[in-house]
Amino acid sequence: MTRIALSLTINGQTHDVLAEPHRTLLDVLRTDLGLIGTKENCLEAECGVCTVLLEGAAVNACILLAAQCQGRAIVTIEGLAAPGQLHPLQRAFIDHGAVQCGYCIPGMILAAKAYLDTNPEPDGDGVREALAGNLCRCTGYQRIIDAVLSAARALRTSPPSQAAR
Amino acid sequence: MTFDYHEPTSVREAIELSARFGGDGRFLAGGTDLMVQIHRGRLNPRHVVSLQCVPGLDGIEVDGAVRLGARVTHRRLESAEAFQGALRGLAEGAEVVGGHQVRNVATVGGNIVNASPAADVVVVLLALDATLTCLGPAGERTVALDGFATAPGVTGLRPNELLTRASFPRLAPRSATVFLKAGRRRAMEISIACVAARVTLDDLERCQDVRIALGAVAPTAIRARAAERHLEARPLTDGLMRETGRIAAAECRPIGDVRASARYRALLVATLVPRALARCLERIKLGAP
Ligand SMILES: Cc1cc2nc3c(=O)[nH]c(=O)nc-3n(C[C@H](O)[C@H](O)[C@H](O)COP(=O)(O)OP(=O)(O)OC[C@H]3O[C@@H](n4cnc5c(N)ncnc54)[C@H](O)[C@@H]3O)c2cc1C
Ligand code: FES
Ligand code: FES
Repeated sequence: MTRIALSLTINGQTHDVLAEPHRTLLDVLRTDLGLIGTKENCLEAECGVCTVLLEGAAVNACILLAAQCQGRAIVTIEGLAAPGQLHPLQRAFIDHGAVQCGYCIPGMILAAKAYLDTNPEPDGDGVREALAGNLCRCTGYQRIIDAVLSAARALRTSPPSQAAR
Repeated sequence: MTFDYHEPTSVREAIELSARFGGDGRFLAGGTDLMVQIHRGRLNPRHVVSLQCVPGLDGIEVDGAVRLGARVTHRRLESAEAFQGALRGLAEGAEVVGGHQVRNVATVGGNIVNASPAADVVVVLLALDATLTCLGPAGERTVALDGFATAPGVTGLRPNELLTRASFPRLAPRSATVFLKAGRRRAMEISIACVAARVTLDDLERCQDVRIALGAVAPTAIRARAAERHLEARPLTDGLMRETGRIAAAECRPIGDVRASARYRALLVATLVPRALARCLERIKLGAP
């Protein structure tokens, strides 16, 4: 199969890759670009570990072709905060003990980010609904919900100085 | 799984490509059905024709009629101002499809062409008497949504045809729509049974026009015609609504599967139908001047 030249904008940076047209964004992120923060599991849009932001909206990278992403801004967990810094959501997940094995967390945090961007004053039910597409086998969810609500408060009082991309 | 990827930039180009590839080609909208089928090895197209750069497929137009472009996402249906009032049932159908990640990309057109018996938005569109516009090499034609799906995954869409939009008439005054879904959990769940109802009342509080559509209880989404007829020109009393639920339950042909037994599905229909009708009544009263 011939490969096609793709120009992808990920975390504000342009990456030129040669990839077969059937390859997913998830595969290209992990295999070609070494961005392994985005996880891989069901490949059926069920579990949410592969969640990235596409033009600011949460999407499952496992069912998105890399070829579909040309000219559209992608954010992965690696690009959520400036290097060496934590986004308020990441800070809150740590502070609330919302992370156990961690496998689901990049997807959780990006789904939560997309939600808070359009719903800055959420309640618990709203957060639960927004994260319904993200499965966690460890935490029982409550601490994740607490962390997102706490991050929402933090973001309202002091938005990140360096706006997240 | 390997295929070539195509990104036509006009409806005409999309149809030309699909005519060229015939059975080897597939249109790609949100990919929430197609990509999953490909990953499971159930489909193996040689050519995938993305609709994402085809203009004119993503409009929500409300004038004499309501027109939904095939590429309108569930996300947009649930948040559209136009579907917060009497057409609220449409937003209710859209907002229970998958999770946010699915709804951000999954489309109305994909829900219709995928033809799952449990397609939530299709059930609402059936209750709205939707018609579909299909465009092929031979031109455009309009068909009723009712009867479009003939079996799970099978529709009357001809080879090389593109579904461009679903349309339905504006509602008469004193109308309401409701969508109710039963699943094993509240979100990210395929319907065990779902019901859409549309009710228009006359000045004497009698049913002037009623549609009841059911999902996941027959090989395709269906209308419960006997139940609809039972309500003609009668006021919606509690007893009548319960009776109508039982008639609808007798009309459906559910299967038993991992989600629920056939009997439980029929019971759900008997319960959801009166609940949906009662909620329509409530909404009409609230909306009445
Ligand atoms: C985790 C998950 C949960 C889900 N939950 C629900 C649910 O609760 N309720 C529900 O109803 N569905 C659900 N679905 C199914 C799916 O999301 C919907 O059916 C969706 O509307 C499909 O749209 P799509 O744009 O993703 O379709 P695609 O996958 O892109 O396409 C589906 C089919 O339609 C064809 N097609 C698409 N657009 C056109 C067009 N314009 N003209 C001609 N052919 C076309 C494609 O070739 C393909 O065969 C779920 C899916 C997943 C993965
Ligand atoms: S790997 Fe994408 S949703 Fe599970
Ligand atoms: S922390 Fe282990 S899956 Fe969520």
